[in-house]
Amino acid sequence: TNAASDSDIRTVFHDAENFNVKHPLMNTWTLWFTKPPSGKGDNWNELLKEVISFDSVEEFWGIYNNITPTSDLALKSDYHLFKKGVRPEWEDAQNKHGGKWAFQFKDKKAINIDALWLHVMLAAIGENLEDDDDNEVMGVVVNVRRGFYRIGLWTRTVGKGKSSEQGKETLTKIGKRFKQALQLKENDVVEFSGHTDAAHAGSTRAKAKFVV
Amino acid sequence: LETKTPVEPAQPTAGMQSLKSARFLAVQHDAVNYPEGIRSPNPALNAGKNKARHTYDLAFLMQFKEVFREKPSTDWDLKLKETVGDSSDSAR
Repeated sequence: TNAASDSDIRTVFHDAENFNVKHPLMNTWTLWFTKPPSGKGDNWNELLKEVISFDSVEEFWGIYNNITPTSDLALKSDYHLFKKGVRPEWEDAQNKHGGKWAFQFKDKKAINIDALWLHVMLAAIGENLEDDDDNEVMGVVVNVRRGFYRIGLWTRTVGKGKSSEQGKETLTKIGKRFKQALQLKENDVVEFSGHTDAAHAGSTRAKAKFVV
Repeated sequence: LETKTPVEPAQPTAGMQSLKSARFLAVQHDAVNYPEGIRSPNPALNAGKNKARHTYDLAFLMQFKEVFREKPSTDWDLKLKETVGDSSDSAR
């Protein structure tokens, strides 16, 4: 770097209409949307839509500032923000052995879901949820339901692979950062469960494997 | 059923074009002089990493919120209609 090239760097803060550098994200992310079912036996694949992929901070904000806020979505909608190449379904081979941290906000009026979802997305794309070599975060999701909003963070494993103690430690650290991004109080409980446990449990809730 | 969509050959805005043509900042190598009052990405988070891993904290990222508001593309509204839809659609 030298002085001449420095002065050629124009960020969006210097000139929002005429900038020549953008801020790269560590990963390319894809935003997905689940449409609420119409009640006519639609198939899940038609309800889950890929909206757009992006790889810069600037592009993220262009999308965020021009898309329906979570608080305006119909019941049974979801937004999913996943690393590119991973479908936000547990059937995806890359999610098969994974699980999720999740928290339900049961008093929908007491919280600002738009701000919370935004902060979780920013923690994900800013790479604040995991450390260098964790390689656990697959994506984040918000569910809009009649009785609650739920925000989840999907991980690649359920703590297996490495020694189970080490695996648990990594997932717990990620869970704590997720909890922090959600601005929860110390005594709020965020639960981790494996996708297969959840699938086998059917409509009832899977037993939490870890909590933070 | 209303199927007409207004056809207006939209031109990309200056901001859209900048986004397309801008190069990626090499976060560790480009010394950016951000305008006064703009926080740079937390250098402590990015210093001394051998891999090109870069992190951005919440405060840094939030600064873009009011600064960059361009739609991702000229056909964004249509694309949004086909994916996210109108929130009124699903209320029925």
